[in-house]
Amino acid sequence: MEANLFLPEALVGNSEIITTIFREFPYALYGSIIVGILCAFLGVYIVAKRVVFLGAVLTQVSVLGLAITFLPITPLSHSLGSLIVTLIAVIILSRLLTGKKIPRDAVLGFVFVSSIAVRILVLQKIEKVETSEIENLLRGDILFVTPDLFYIMLAVFVGAMVVHLLFFKEFTYISFDAETAGTQGFKATFWETVFYVIAAIVIATATHMVGDIFVFGFLVIPPLAGLLLAKRVKLIFLIAMLVGTLSPLLGLFLAFKFDFPSSPAIVAVASALLAAAWIANMARRA
Amino acid sequence: MNDTNPLIEFQHATLGYGRKIVLQDVNFAIHIGDYFGMVGPNGAGKTTLLRAILGTLKPLAGEVRVRTNSGEPLRFGYVPQRDSIDSILPYAVHEVVMMGRYREVGLLRSPRQRDIDIVRESLRHVDIEDLHNRSFRDLSGGQKQRVLIARALATKPAILILDEPTNGMDLSSRISILELIRKLHDEDQMTVILVTHLLDDIANYVKRVAIVERNFFQVGNVDEVLTAENLSTLYQMPIQVAHLNGSKLILAGGARGK
Repeated sequence: MEANLFLPEALVGNSEIITTIFREFPYALYGSIIVGILCAFLGVYIVAKRVVFLGAVLTQVSVLGLAITFLPITPLSHSLGSLIVTLIAVIILSRLLTGKKIPRDAVLGFVFVSSIAVRILVLQKIEKVETSEIENLLRGDILFVTPDLFYIMLAVFVGAMVVHLLFFKEFTYISFDAETAGTQGFKATFWETVFYVIAAIVIATATHMVGDIFVFGFLVIPPLAGLLLAKRVKLIFLIAMLVGTLSPLLGLFLAFKFDFPSSPAIVAVASALLAAAWIANMARRA
Repeated sequence: MNDTNPLIEFQHATLGYGRKIVLQDVNFAIHIGDYFGMVGPNGAGKTTLLRAILGTLKPLAGEVRVRTNSGEPLRFGYVPQRDSIDSILPYAVHEVVMMGRYREVGLLRSPRQRDIDIVRESLRHVDIEDLHNRSFRDLSGGQKQRVLIARALATKPAILILDEPTNGMDLSSRISILELIRKLHDEDQMTVILVTHLLDDIANYVKRVAIVERNFFQVGNVDEVLTAENLSTLYQMPIQVAHLNGSKLILAGGARGK
């Protein structure tokens, strides 16, 4: 559903737009901010581990999981179904990606394209009226985030951040040098699994709420801005999370102002911030 | 050296992965104060042997005994192959070395003054205190190797284990790293295990050596093991061991099989 359908034509003032967003769409606003922050935070690790394509794959798998829950034979709720399919994909991928016969990117490419293909087939077999939620997500409309979905996302946000802050040393060491961490008693495989399970939960829940473009965009764009601007690791996390906070605020405003779909507008703002970071980096080096 | 109570002891150990046997009936021991080298062709089993020492690979048969210290597991200062660390994030040198203290820092705690002091002392020990705030990813190969050695020292190890520490280095960096390792062994009485495929590194620096190859596993003093006959058999090509100004030179001559 497009933003303009819910705005009176006379509503042109910027302050009125801001007021409308805060009053009428608080769950979309706050939900997109917490997803922005969380994806930006996890994205720093994902970029550092060079597994960016895995993020793209998992967003498509979670959309597939969501689509499957609309089939009449599926007894699961949308959130749970999407989460279970994504977790299964992570477990299978963790096995497939360690093999030597087939390259990792080929495995990810296969899962990526087959998820999209199966999702299209599944959507063909669902009543049109029931697919509107998925189609809205794929088109990038995030305005109708329900309170339930928002609170689930908030719980995931708190849980994921608490685990990451509690075990910051473990995640840092394993992502930098898993082999040596293992010799010092850190269980590298266990912590890698914990990381990817958390990533799967975040991606599945966030994709259900704000769509695949938003989630994948925020796993990549804010960390890149941080990498361009900061010379210290903690600052990279902070800048990434700042971009993750500002982009939804500005993006939603611009979506209302210029009648854009909200999710692509937010990703476009994040991209503009990344471009500004790149220019700043070039200027600093000149 | 205490032969009756080795730090690490292989007893008829068979090492491998699943059904694939890499090394069979391995018997040797490493003692306190050893400077022990492990050499062999690529793929011969050096990494497998190393994993068994580090405890990350259990033997398929036999035993690998690692001595404990008052019930605590033996503490290894492991220096991985430099190229295995692909750091996109710009960790500062002191942050990398602090990782060696993570085990002691504990859950939910920041490093204490003692940990910070140990990091500084480790950097000083390998002569790179001035790199304290530099980004690890921007350092030269030799500097990175020193940072990784400093991180290993920060663990306060019983044994320092270095995997191909001079791989891909120019001559001066290579000699500089080998001299640093020798200093740690000679002056600090550090027990050292050096894994490499570079015969010259082994021949002129370590005291005891293992030739790692499934059908030709040999352990002993350098002069006993690194002979022209053994090396020719190992590499299946004529190899000579010469001496020049007190250094050993390993000279490969002729084509394979001639």
